[in-house]
Amino acid sequence: MAILELRDVSRSFGSGARRVDAVREVTLDVDRGEVVALEGPSGSGKTTLLALAGALLTPTAGAIRVDGDDITNYGARSRTRYRRDRVGFVFQGSNMVPFLTARENLLVVGHFGGADRSALRRRADELLDQLDLTAVRNQVATSLSGGERQRVAIARALMRDPSLLLVDEPTASLNFELGSRVVDALLSEVHSRDKACIMVTHDDRMAQRADRLVEIRDGRILADRPLP
Amino acid sequence: MLALIEIRRRKLQFGFVTGVVALIAYLIIMVTGLGLGLNEAAGTALLRLNGDHLAYAANSNLSVIRSRLSDQDVAEVQALAAAERAAPIGYVAAVIEFAPEESDTAAIIGVIPGSFSEPSVVEGRSLSGPSDILIDRAWVRVAGTRVGETLALPVGFETREFTVVGIVDQGYFFFQPAMFVDLASWKDLVFLGDAGQQPAASLVLIQGRDLDGVRGEGWRIVTKQDGFNNIEGVRAQQSTVDALRYMGLLIGAMVIGVFFYVITLQKVSLLGILKAIGAPGGYLVVQGLLQVLIVCVIGAVLAVGLALLTEATVLSSDTIPIDFTANAMATSSISVVIAGVVGSLLSARQVASVDPIIAMQQQ
Ligand SMILES: Nc1ncnc2c1ncn2[C@@H]1O[C@H](COP(=O)(O)OP(=O)(O)OP(=O)(O)O)[C@@H](O)[C@H]1O
Ligand SMILES: [Mg+2]
Repeated sequence: MAILELRDVSRSFGSGARRVDAVREVTLDVDRGEVVALEGPSGSGKTTLLALAGALLTPTAGAIRVDGDDITNYGARSRTRYRRDRVGFVFQGSNMVPFLTARENLLVVGHFGGADRSALRRRADELLDQLDLTAVRNQVATSLSGGERQRVAIARALMRDPSLLLVDEPTASLNFELGSRVVDALLSEVHSRDKACIMVTHDDRMAQRADRLVEIRDGRILADRPLP
Repeated sequence: MLALIEIRRRKLQFGFVTGVVALIAYLIIMVTGLGLGLNEAAGTALLRLNGDHLAYAANSNLSVIRSRLSDQDVAEVQALAAAERAAPIGYVAAVIEFAPEESDTAAIIGVIPGSFSEPSVVEGRSLSGPSDILIDRAWVRVAGTRVGETLALPVGFETREFTVVGIVDQGYFFFQPAMFVDLASWKDLVFLGDAGQQPAASLVLIQGRDLDGVRGEGWRIVTKQDGFNNIEGVRAQQSTVDALRYMGLLIGAMVIGVFFYVITLQKVSLLGILKAIGAPGGYLVVQGLLQVLIVCVIGAVLAVGLALLTEATVLSSDTIPIDFTANAMATSSISVVIAGVVGSLLSARQVASVDPIIAMQQQ
């Protein structure tokens, strides 16, 4: 059953001679418990596609449904709430709140309302444990290593138990061994909790660990095949 | 509360901004105090007179220096039904030598001894003879004169010795410490030798109601406060001080505004990430304004403390006319807080306009 459904989704920037078609008529479904690796050269539209699915951008054409709800025409408030409750983001760079500890970085999502704080605290400790972060939970974000930081980012994305995870190059700043551990942590969370996940990566060895590989060129899907 | 945690963890940065706010607030409190002090020096002796209205010569344009009332003017004012009590008062400035080669100017005020217009003494006794003089504390601080000593006042081309019989707390008139003598002695000080032209008084001090605006041929009555406002220079001085205060507040608003704008610009990418993971724009704006409020309130409190410290140490010698009142301090510090919040509205707009898409764009 598909959690994320993209139907003929296009997104362009600018107009006239300066117009860039970042995503062109993409149709893509991501099922529950499935990790889709999104691969493609720089500028092929991977980040734009994630931003569309995460309601950070609106499509210029096409429709996006999540859990059966059409999010295409959500207003600003609904989009904020959608991102808060139903999407977990892991961004490319460092995306911690620098002056907070690892644990506080997880609890930060509780400041935006719509959640039971004590349930969030339990959830944070559970995730810190699962992602092997208990030892560094009270360390301030700036003092964490790259791998720890990315695992904290994954834990934060999972805090509100979203149905969709959108992950942009989670291992870009890590060596292979550390990167594999981060991806493994991600995969086991998605599989055990039945989430849908799109993971953008440049690294083919990481991509091979996913359930499906989607290749994108110039905003179009070039290939879409299951992995063993 | 993200706002509070950030302040606690970034003490240096926020401490620095708080320090700047404190200095601005301190400056404004000092300027305000100076304004009050200058006003005090300009004419508390007039404001502290024991009456509510003053009669001036009709042609004096409410100038105490130029006001000259005749015996008939004084009698007319005293005869007014609304004037419960009325007593003539004289003013003249006199240079007094209080030590060899050392002199200062005093405001000599002539009163009728024993009448309600004679101020009560804080030390010594009241006037009882033509050579008695009451001196203000302000003069004691400057000259060190004590009860029982004599002061030589210029009368005509001579000087006449007056004995200090008491000390009063009436303040200044025209930046000169007030001194009180018998009205008859005042006449000698001003007009000795010209008996035919001698006026009876400068002003008439009155206690009574509904007298404002009442006038006769040679005199007119205004409230004591109006009289004070018309002391030469008081208005100009007041508007100068006000201009300084408003400029201080304006500059304060701008400095605080720029500081928070820079802090906000440094945080744009963080704000983008928080918005991307579901922080409502309004929540982040409120957090930012809360920080401004905290910084400004702490800054203002520090400034009040600093001002009180200054008053207790540097200013205790009392040669600088600065006067702090709780009211003025409260007004100044609240103004600084408001100016800070207004100045940081630009940052609030910046926070509100951050596009969460930047969370995905940064590498
Ligand atoms: N806000 C924007 N305005 C104009 N053009 C944009 C904007 N965002 C993306 N683009 C363009 O859209 C195309 C796709 O960009 P996108 O960031 O999705 O690529 P990507 O596949 O994530 O690349 P990379 O691997 O380098 O991260 C690029 O040509 C880019 O320049
Ligand atoms: Mg990208």
